[in-house]
Amino acid sequence: MKEAEKPMTEQESLALITAMINKAKETRHDTGLAAIMWGTVIAVCSLVRLSELQFNYRLPFDIYYLTFLAVVPQVYFSVKEGKERKVKTYGEDFFDYLWIGFGICIFLMIFITSTMFSDLNPAAAAYRESSGNSFAFRLNEYVSALFLLLYGLPTFVSGISMKFKPMLWGGIFCWVACLVTLYTPGKIDLLLVAVSAIFAWLIPGLIMEKDYRKAKKEIARQHV
Amino acid sequence: MFKDLNPILHSQLRLAVMSLLISVKEAEFTFIKEKTNATAGNLSVQIQKLKEAGYIEVVKQFRDNYPQTLCHITPAGIAAFEEYVASLQGYLGGRNE
Repeated sequence: MKEAEKPMTEQESLALITAMINKAKETRHDTGLAAIMWGTVIAVCSLVRLSELQFNYRLPFDIYYLTFLAVVPQVYFSVKEGKERKVKTYGEDFFDYLWIGFGICIFLMIFITSTMFSDLNPAAAAYRESSGNSFAFRLNEYVSALFLLLYGLPTFVSGISMKFKPMLWGGIFCWVACLVTLYTPGKIDLLLVAVSAIFAWLIPGLIMEKDYRKAKKEIARQHV
Repeated sequence: MFKDLNPILHSQLRLAVMSLLISVKEAEFTFIKEKTNATAGNLSVQIQKLKEAGYIEVVKQFRDNYPQTLCHITPAGIAAFEEYVASLQGYLGGRNE
């Protein structure tokens, strides 16, 4: 913009306002790293658990502990992105709180389901002992549906709010998979969770990362 | 009769700054400089004028030992911007009739 004050026509003023508002809108460029990481972690956890069931082996640790470990890089990414951020938009607070709320819900759901398992297992054992029949209700057949239900919510809301179709469809995919897992055996449920994580986070994350790099290059080119 | 356009806002760089700030919660000086392609000196002067008019607030602080200047629009700035846009629409509407 020139140093000298040059008179503007009304049309030029409106054009300038529109151009600046659009420039501000283009500002949000998520690096996509968190989405890539979570998509990968959830897919790997589900596939490893599936392979444990399929090939009858057991790792010396619960593979789902990886999700707790992944919180460390998540905090690192959040702090790094916060430091690099030169502007704060109104929408960013909303997305931050949405995903923090989702994280809290996931850890509460882990606690709820493990409490349900620990309450149900003795009851199932007592039933087997007294009746001699196997206990027909298998809680683990429903756990994937509960998690997929949660996965879908912030993914869908983020996708529709950011007008980012890969995430929007990823959220819908989670909800469809949530319904399907009610009627499929446990191994298929795990496969569906892995595929959902890939569609909801890994693929949108890779697209976001590509867009972020492109935008960064564009800014660098403009400032040469 | 049309109202005169607010002279504080009817300036290319000040209007650009206000249009950016109305769209975001807060922005760093470097972000505004990058988006408006203005020089640091000129931008500082225009930001000071907007601040004196009460349209924006400027917070100077340190982050990681580096100075940081944050700007955000005030309620008076929002009202002035909205009035400016309404006046512009009035002018353009009047011409098109």
